[in-house]
Amino acid sequence: MAHVRIEGGELIVEIEGLNKVWALKSRITVPLSNVRGATVDPGIVREPKGLRSPGTHMPGVIVAGTFHSDGERIFWDVRDAGKAIVIQLDDEEYARLVLEVDDPHAAVDLIERAL
Amino acid sequence: MAYGGDMGRPRGFDEDEAVRAAVTLFGRQSFAGTSVDDLVSHLGVHRGSLYKTFGSKRGLYLAALRQHVDRDVTAAAEVFAAATDVDEAVRRITDAGPDLGLLLLALVERAPVDPEVAAETTRALARLRDARGELDRALGLLLRTRATGSAPEFVGE
Repeated sequence: MAHVRIEGGELIVEIEGLNKVWALKSRITVPLSNVRGATVDPGIVREPKGLRSPGTHMPGVIVAGTFHSDGERIFWDVRDAGKAIVIQLDDEEYARLVLEVDDPHAAVDLIERAL
Repeated sequence: MAYGGDMGRPRGFDEDEAVRAAVTLFGRQSFAGTSVDDLVSHLGVHRGSLYKTFGSKRGLYLAALRQHVDRDVTAAAEVFAAATDVDEAVRRITDAGPDLGLLLLALVERAPVDPEVAAETTRALARLRDARGELDRALGLLLRTRATGSAPEFVGE
């Protein structure tokens, strides 16, 4: 589970709970100018995720950590596919973040309105 | 076919064609009713390319709406200007296109909550109004036509 908020022109993502251990990262901060957009996307969990390093992937249970796919680095922290959102970034360590959030529509609206 | 590294790597799909397919899909299913799964399967675009190119579903929606206004609404405005009256214009549009589904849905679904969508729908309505007055009557006829599937035969007027 992740919490997203916007503060001082930055998008701040905090990883909560046990996933913090598996994802090996508890906080990601991105300037809003490097955020391209956010989307509610429960279907993304069924797609191939690429190669994992480091983190964990127990199919059907939890996806957390850094994955490499088509030359891109993607950060995953999803347990409940129904609550997955995708945040697309530019010029950042990660090409995109795939996160589980409490209220996907509210999180996506928050980010899209800030851009 | 091998493309070297990241440099000048082609997107691997026709962006204009993909946006055109998105116009049809959003115009049929609305923004909320169209999932990224729907877009990936109808546009022939990988999820990663979709996000890399448009940033988000909303980014693609805005691109689709802009193309819709520039292409379909402009074409509809020409029909409006050429027809003898609004009823005839709506009948011609219903029979032969262009499909204005995305504009009609955007007006009720997204324009009230998304200022960038509202700017595009305002641009679209101005274009239709410039072609011919009686815009409200035209919109009413278009909506009723969408509801019933055929141009209303002067019902109740």
